[in-house]
Amino acid sequence: MSRDLLRRRNTSFELYDVSVLSAGDSELAEISSTLSLSLSLDEMKVIRTYFTKEGRDPTDIEVQALGQAWSEHCCYKSSKPILKEFVFGIDRDDVLSRGDAGVMVFDDDYGYALRIESHNHPSAIEPYGGAATGIGGILRDVVCMGAQPIGLADPLCFGYPDRKGDLPPGVKHPRYLMGGVVSGIRDYGNRCGIPTITGGFFFDERYTGNCLVNVGCLGIVKRKDLANNFAGGPGEVMILVGGRTGRDGIHGVNFASRDLTETSQDDSRGAVQLGDPITKEPVMHACFEVNEKHLVTGMKDLGGGGLSCVVGEMALAGGCGADVDVDKVPLKESGLAPWEIWVSESQERMMVTCKPDNVAKVLEVFALWDVIATPIAKTTSVQRMRLFMNGEMIFDMDLEFLTGGPVYVRPYALPSVPDGSKEKFPDLPSNKEVILTLLSDPNVASKEWAIRQYDHEVRASTAIHPMVGKMNETGPGDASVLMPVPGKWKGLAAAIGCNPWFTALDPYNGGKSGIDEACRNIVAVGARPNAFTDCLNFGNPERPERLGEMREAVRGIGETAKGLGIPIPSGNVSLYNEAAGGRAILPTPMILACGLIDDVRKAITADLKKEGSCLFLVGSTKREMGGSLLFRKFGGSDGKVPGVDVARAKELMDRLLRAMDSRLVLSCHDCSDGGIAVAVAEMCISGGIGAELDLTAIGGLEEGVKLYSESNTRWIAEVDGKNAEAFSDAMGDGATCIGITKGASLKIKGARTDIPVTELRKAWSDPIWKIMGGAGDE
Amino acid sequence: MSEVRVCVLRIEGTNCEDEMAEAFRMCGAAPEKVHLNQMSGKAPPELRRSIEDYDILALPGGFSAGDYVRAGAIFGARIKSSMGRQLRDFVDSEKPVFGVCNGFQILVELGLLPAAKETMEPSPTAALYNNDSGRFECRPTILRNDSRGRCRLVSQVPSGRTLAIPSAHAEGRLLGMDEDFADRLEDNDQVVFRYVGPEGEKAGYPWNPNGSKSDIAGICNPAGNVLGMMPHPERVMTRFTHADWTRGYTSEDGDGKEIIMSVVKAVKS
Repeated sequence: MSRDLLRRRNTSFELYDVSVLSAGDSELAEISSTLSLSLSLDEMKVIRTYFTKEGRDPTDIEVQALGQAWSEHCCYKSSKPILKEFVFGIDRDDVLSRGDAGVMVFDDDYGYALRIESHNHPSAIEPYGGAATGIGGILRDVVCMGAQPIGLADPLCFGYPDRKGDLPPGVKHPRYLMGGVVSGIRDYGNRCGIPTITGGFFFDERYTGNCLVNVGCLGIVKRKDLANNFAGGPGEVMILVGGRTGRDGIHGVNFASRDLTETSQDDSRGAVQLGDPITKEPVMHACFEVNEKHLVTGMKDLGGGGLSCVVGEMALAGGCGADVDVDKVPLKESGLAPWEIWVSESQERMMVTCKPDNVAKVLEVFALWDVIATPIAKTTSVQRMRLFMNGEMIFDMDLEFLTGGPVYVRPYALPSVPDGSKEKFPDLPSNKEVILTLLSDPNVASKEWAIRQYDHEVRASTAIHPMVGKMNETGPGDASVLMPVPGKWKGLAAAIGCNPWFTALDPYNGGKSGIDEACRNIVAVGARPNAFTDCLNFGNPERPERLGEMREAVRGIGETAKGLGIPIPSGNVSLYNEAAGGRAILPTPMILACGLIDDVRKAITADLKKEGSCLFLVGSTKREMGGSLLFRKFGGSDGKVPGVDVARAKELMDRLLRAMDSRLVLSCHDCSDGGIAVAVAEMCISGGIGAELDLTAIGGLEEGVKLYSESNTRWIAEVDGKNAEAFSDAMGDGATCIGITKGASLKIKGARTDIPVTELRKAWSDPIWKIMGGAGDE
Repeated sequence: MSEVRVCVLRIEGTNCEDEMAEAFRMCGAAPEKVHLNQMSGKAPPELRRSIEDYDILALPGGFSAGDYVRAGAIFGARIKSSMGRQLRDFVDSEKPVFGVCNGFQILVELGLLPAAKETMEPSPTAALYNNDSGRFECRPTILRNDSRGRCRLVSQVPSGRTLAIPSAHAEGRLLGMDEDFADRLEDNDQVVFRYVGPEGEKAGYPWNPNGSKSDIAGICNPAGNVLGMMPHPERVMTRFTHADWTRGYTSEDGDGKEIIMSVVKAVKS
């Protein structure tokens, strides 16, 4: 430092006073960078003004706490105005909570929790640990609603796992990242006993430098036990439970709030936390117990920003302040400076608040589970946060100021979007070659390699599994369905929707498509879409074109959700997803949809059930080839990205669900990547039955568009011949007969196409096993 | 007959106790989830429990203590040190002991299975080793009841009957000390369940998901009152958690119910 900006205080522990009051602009910037605060000059100036009013310099722990609280990750300073404009406030009576996880009405007695978030940057550095702690974090978000986690949903984005050629400096090979991430999810999820029921894999070169690891979780909670995430008022005790605090995960939120660089591996290794599912598992049990006994007033997990965020947020939301004894925090090792204790993101920790009378009872419950629980703070009646170390006050700040954080309305540039007038349709080989090529693209090909490593049945409530069809000859499902309450047939469906290629070309319609796809998946199993949670993964918001992408995608999501009348009670924003050199990811608004089905015994799967059924296309096929898998594989360009007619989507979903409820549908599959051709092929694969398609009833388009267009709001439905008329009547103008189920191959009339189901199955089944290593290869 | 009391024993990382307890409840028994600390006197007086108070001991699946060493080894050791003698008495009194997945691994670590020489061998005589595939395998499997009558915990499952019971484990390959290990189990009528293919044929991968010798999926002790199995009957108590029920079914009961029901019936009134 140019002069003595940090003054060591004469204490037995390490503490510095930071010379902010007398600092000029360049010195303020220097302080931010030396202490790794990631605060801008303007933000440092606000801090200087605040402490000038306080009449003293801050301590290092105070400015560190501000660096945490004001990070993009914690306060959403760039995204909040956009979220407010488009997605907040889609309200409905059955939203029970918008806490750390959203909670919706499940039935008269229960609510279900949902939340998704990202763990992208840690996973790019250390895939196993990054993914595992991502699971840990999302479980805690659900647990602190008082909800038992019942299902995990993990959509992941990587570069092509069979990528050849040199990698940019500091970038790890996608195959290595994918292997590590899947192992991390497997080991954490399986050990905690929470089934991983759905997810997705998205492969594109633009994820090579910055993979995405999004982790979603669903939970179930008795409505009378729904927990708050804040203190009940002044005079309560804050008890820190679970893991000890160490130097792992320091500055994780700041790391998440800037672009990756060539040297992130070395600079930021310490920002990646270490997960321990076997500490987590009993923490969950004990938390449920103290919550069900109503011994606690609030629960919140320690995630980004560690203690510094959780104590402030629990106190502020509870209308009080807090006095904290930092020296009482159980540590992994001695010698941590107070600021390190305060911002560490060590895993497996939760904070509970309770009345002083209940402290002993709370501690007893944790003791039975061999979980460390330590009272470390008291809530007070003044809205200030005060920290003490061995009795010495080292921190004294206004809570509003600390946790408020800045909000930026940053400039954005709207993208120019192809309208389809310049579409260049590629020359295609035979349909057989096209279909086999599309089926074997890693984006479509079987993910069995990962799915079977995840326990997707633990808790014994999985009614519709992620893979469907004949045992050990399965194909892809649409949504998974759980029966969360033992003895009740009511089901909770979950599915992912996202099309980053659409979003890259046309962010608004890409956002709409993600919602539409998630709903299609839910409806395909016979459930009614009920709520969304979203993880918005975008690039650097300080670049106007990146922020423009996000704004348009969020507008599409918000309008569609609003039009469908479906709330988004929780979500997460992940910005700065750019590899070294400013190479942004595909804009990736990941949607996790939940749906309800009154009786899971009426649920439907995608595998063809028998020969001689009619195949119907539900919805309309249009010339919307932009971003399609066909164009990506065979070199088309400038196509129009599929749009969504929200009113029509609502109408078709209603009709299809009614037809399903009347038992008119034998099987149903969402029509997405690769269009009708791939959707029908997948149904043949899972059912082990062929089909004969005749697309003449779809008018006005050439064959290649009919087969491979990815127009939204479409499904393929198998209907017993004897019910074909009833189904047509029920669907009104919404269904077109496109063929029958027959034989052992997929045939397309007029195109002389004939592909044996065994060939379809092989093309679809083998690719990822081959890349990642299958049974017998190891 | 009075209420059948089932102790569903757990520690940290046991994670199939909810569905195990529910499965027994569905079969008319009265399960209680009990933490090992409640058995070893480390709990407040009102929470202390004793194994003699129960009719059945059930060891559920999971990753007890993380299973970072041999699966089940730590839980096994902790049971042995805190309630080993009581457990041996429990088994000697011919009360049913039932372990699934990690529970099976624990029974082997405890020396309660295969237990050729005595009720509770001083050290393990078998192991459940890494799957041949090297991976965790969550998939449907089909079991055939190959017991010739020794095992008292499968009385409601007709001999030779096949049941679809799913597997989910990384360490399920049963290994013994010597070559003819599997033959001796067979000769001694200790093989209770074998993996078979969908038509009842010999199971290759993936129908035998772990490569277990002679396709062994579950075994009992010589007295027939201790049963350990890798697949999870408690996950298929209704038809609607089977992986393929949408392809047609005849009964709303799941295949697991016959097994759990048999365990309950094994209690001597």
